[in-house]
Amino acid sequence: MSPGLRRYIIVRTLLTIPMVLILVSLVFIVLRVMPGDPALAIMREGASEEQLAAFRAALGMDRPLHIQYFDFISGVLRFDFGESMVRPIPVTQEIKTFFPATVELAIFSMMVTTGVGIFSGAYAAKNRKRGSDYAIRVLSIILYSLPIFWLGLMLQMTIGAGLGWLPVSGRLSPGMTPDRVITGLYTIDAILTLNLDLLVDALKHLILPSITLGLVLAGFFTRLTRATMLDVLEQDFITAGRARGLHERVLVYKHGLRNAFIPIVTLLGLQFALLLAGAILTETTFSWPGMGRLVVDRIYDRDFTTVQGTILFFALLVAGVSLIVDILYGFLDPRIRY
Amino acid sequence: MAMTNTELAQNGSINQMIEDVGLLRRIWRGRLWYGTEWYITVFGGLILVTVTIVTLLAPILSPYDPNDFAGSQFIPPGGGPQVLLTRSGESNRVTESYLNEQLVGVQRNKNGTNIAIELELDYLRYQTQSEQIEALQNQEVDSILVDERDLDAIIADFPQLEIAADGIGPSFTLGTDNLGRDILSRLIWGARTVLGVAILSALLSSVVGISLGLISGFVSGPFDRVASLTMDSIYSFPGLLLAIAMAAMLGPGLLNVAIAISVIYIPTFFRVVRGQVLSIKEELHVEAARSLGAKPFSILFRYIFPLVIPSVVVVFSLNVADAILTEAGLSFIGLGLPPDVPDWGYDLSKGHSFLVAGHWWMITFPGVLITIVAMGFSLLGEGLSEILNPRLVKS
Amino acid sequence: MSINEILYNIQDLSVEFHTRVGILGAVDHASLDIRRGEVLGLVGESGCGKSTLGKALMRMIEEPGKITSGKLLFDNIDILALDDSRMRELRGSRISMVFQDPMTSLNPVQRVVDHITEAIQVHQSYVTDKEARARAANLVDRLGISHDRLDDYPHHLSGGMRQRVMIGLALALRADLVIADEATTSLDVIVEAQFLDLLRELRNEFDLTILLITHNMGIVAELADRVAVMYAGRLVELAEVNQLFSNPKHPYTEGLLRAVPNIQLDEGELYKMAGSPPDLVRPPSGCRFHPRCPKVMEICSQVDPIFKSIAPNRMVNCWLYQEVPDEKLWVGGSTQ
Ligand SMILES: Nc1ncnc2c1ncn2[C@@H]1O[C@H](COP(=O)(O)OP(=O)(O)OP(=O)(O)O)[C@@H](O)[C@H]1O
Ligand SMILES: [Mg+2]
Repeated sequence: MSPGLRRYIIVRTLLTIPMVLILVSLVFIVLRVMPGDPALAIMREGASEEQLAAFRAALGMDRPLHIQYFDFISGVLRFDFGESMVRPIPVTQEIKTFFPATVELAIFSMMVTTGVGIFSGAYAAKNRKRGSDYAIRVLSIILYSLPIFWLGLMLQMTIGAGLGWLPVSGRLSPGMTPDRVITGLYTIDAILTLNLDLLVDALKHLILPSITLGLVLAGFFTRLTRATMLDVLEQDFITAGRARGLHERVLVYKHGLRNAFIPIVTLLGLQFALLLAGAILTETTFSWPGMGRLVVDRIYDRDFTTVQGTILFFALLVAGVSLIVDILYGFLDPRIRY
Repeated sequence: MAMTNTELAQNGSINQMIEDVGLLRRIWRGRLWYGTEWYITVFGGLILVTVTIVTLLAPILSPYDPNDFAGSQFIPPGGGPQVLLTRSGESNRVTESYLNEQLVGVQRNKNGTNIAIELELDYLRYQTQSEQIEALQNQEVDSILVDERDLDAIIADFPQLEIAADGIGPSFTLGTDNLGRDILSRLIWGARTVLGVAILSALLSSVVGISLGLISGFVSGPFDRVASLTMDSIYSFPGLLLAIAMAAMLGPGLLNVAIAISVIYIPTFFRVVRGQVLSIKEELHVEAARSLGAKPFSILFRYIFPLVIPSVVVVFSLNVADAILTEAGLSFIGLGLPPDVPDWGYDLSKGHSFLVAGHWWMITFPGVLITIVAMGFSLLGEGLSEILNPRLVKS
Repeated sequence: MSINEILYNIQDLSVEFHTRVGILGAVDHASLDIRRGEVLGLVGESGCGKSTLGKALMRMIEEPGKITSGKLLFDNIDILALDDSRMRELRGSRISMVFQDPMTSLNPVQRVVDHITEAIQVHQSYVTDKEARARAANLVDRLGISHDRLDDYPHHLSGGMRQRVMIGLALALRADLVIADEATTSLDVIVEAQFLDLLRELRNEFDLTILLITHNMGIVAELADRVAVMYAGRLVELAEVNQLFSNPKHPYTEGLLRAVPNIQLDEGELYKMAGSPPDLVRPPSGCRFHPRCPKVMEICSQVDPIFKSIAPNRMVNCWLYQEVPDEKLWVGGSTQ
């Protein structure tokens, strides 16, 4: 690793600290400071004054705000989100159970997204201003105008319930359980334990949700790839390559795409939030037991600590991923140095 | 490709030409320069104009009150007017007196049930159509109410039946939902809700985002750094989750939902405006204004703000598109508006429960509308961004 | 090989760009021969269409541009009639191009050596990787770059080195014709001088034909055998280099030469040509130079002069050197 790169990584890592601080404070403000009494919001109307007071006391919400704030921050630093209010286990334990499902969904969706998005975006850029370009662009606008959950519903209705080809909810068929939970990603666990039935079942359950989430994001990704590719294809080295007799295909898919790759990865990292937001809705539609479901369900179960912990976890996740993406960027691009 | 000096000079003059005309005229002239792009923009605009007209005319256009239990549950699209069938030769008798002590056979979950109740008829309920017809033939009932659409098939199979009266009762172009509410009316009124919430939240976020962006870009320094970092952090956070948390805390209600959604879009306004201010600030006429002794505040609002407007228009349009989707998502999760407000996302979440039962109309139409309206704003925003920020070399 | 053998025969070439403000005629009915083994300078103000002409020779005019008339015969091959794949085979192997900006003309994420081996293998797919690499090493050695820089990325090299790489790429397959478009503009004076020396050596060694596009008269004087002068999309003068410098015929050429700083004759202030280059969407009628011409005559704004020979190796496009037709034929109206 060159000194420049090391420096870049250190600086970038240090920059993550204020970002985490701001995100955590944001969550604190939303959940504790903003008008709207969390006790009331969680317990709903009808709760007695004593119940509300007990709730506040349990969460330390009867103390002054600044003390709550430092408590909050120190909790986050110790990765201690308190105990769930519906089950006697720490929130981190809950997150551990639910998080792998989201990761698995995210990975498979990203495969759909990048597969569809990179190809169609590069193709549209190559055929700029021709019919296929306009068709791809309009199609991608339609895709990202689709409510994710509605696309999910439509797929469930047609391919799932209608034709009966694929399961419409959950991660595994009833009665199916992984022999051993190693990573929590059932497909990988199935491969590790050489359980073919489990693998097939897990994959079947993954198809509709990941197509749903992947397609909607692909609309966005196509646009991104196209715009980036257009910028790249306009550069001198493409013209120079053309003057050396390189085939248009090579120029676009080898030289163009390789240069567009770096900005695409960066922008994609920025859009990680989009993936998570989409996952929440996809999980709700497909009863996918992931982090999104966890938040939504626990809002109904009035499990304030879990909701708070999950949101905080998302905040840390976002900061972490953006750090990783930027570091990756440092390795990918031979030019970038601080 | 590096631009040559002449190209630059020429483009400069063309840009000047464009800058010199007003926003609307610029859009109109765009027609000449942006062939297909321009038509896409106009198409988006037309969608929005149509939707706006529909929302304004909702009281006139919608056949029912959106919250009325106007028909039976789950009437499929086109389901509606009923036909009164009797045994042959009895039609006169029935017609004259069907309001009286006659017994009418109706089918469960069909509009006929509703009509019988509404007209205060005595009725017997049957599970299926064939049971209904059998009962008529067995003289269990004097007449039966069937869907007008099914009439031809029934008459073909049972020519001995006779029409006593037709065109009875209400019709439901897009069917009814699980409570027998008219879906078309709910869609029409829902458009009001969706547009209202989305535009309101975009307005809220634009006010905050633009002011912060203007100030941040203009004053620079520590304020700018803190503001930028905060905005970047919010931007990197999954918007829907933020809205969920806010909505859960604030509780249901139109304004609360709009506020919850608006937070997501503050950073987009902020970033665009700040970026533009930074570059405009350096431009000559601002320098000139400064040297003439204009106050910073008046520089900001008289000279910089007007130049930011085109980008703000674009961002606004794109954000409304996204806000529509977010609002629908919130409602789908169940954190949206109170249940008595007709809302597409809420309708979808209700339809979700009946999906397996095959009531496709409950989830198809609201989704199609959300897509179309969101698309209208996206197309408009995308097209405008091309037209308002011309890069001429690209032909 | 005779110096007079014609390598590239350009007849009546026109290139138009369809822009939003109208049709822009960047090259207007240009006819020119490039002889094998010569260095032909192509000079003219910025925006007069030099690059466009150069690109047209490789059939590399991109949207929204189009070659609207003319015939291009390269070594008796009809360039405009070739199908795309045959045209690609020609590019880089028989005609190649060196661009103005070496900073941006190399793929930033591709190693130097890969540029060269790729260029070789595209045209000679039978060459093995090892062989191609060896050839690349030889080539850069010859160009004065140590071959252990081969595995560097372009941003590791200096501007001068990159431009050498660009030349290397143009020579990798021993192209007959090299079109150098402002190849030295972005280099500083010393590097430029070294580069020109290199070009001169290579020219003899590789038997190159070079179309040297530039607006630097100094480079033309140093390197070119013949010079073509272009104004607003048209060729206005063609001459051997010393004749052009000693005895310019076209008033535009004269102005161009007077605008060159001359260290020996310190004439005080530098001459600056009046007026500015015309708008190519709506060019002036008749001779396009007439609004700026110090020797303008009545006919100049009415009728196009013809680009024609006035002496051996000498062509001019100006009414001063051709017979003005009878006034009745053109006064007060159009020509055609
Ligand atoms: N892609 C394009 N689209 C529109 N017009 C173009 C395009 N490329 C070139 N032109 C126009 O064609 C004319 C000739 O351009 P060209 O680049 O050939 O000039 P040049 O003589 O090479 O100038 P320079 O010395 O600055 O490189 C210019 O007026 C330019 O504006
Ligand atoms: Mg040029």
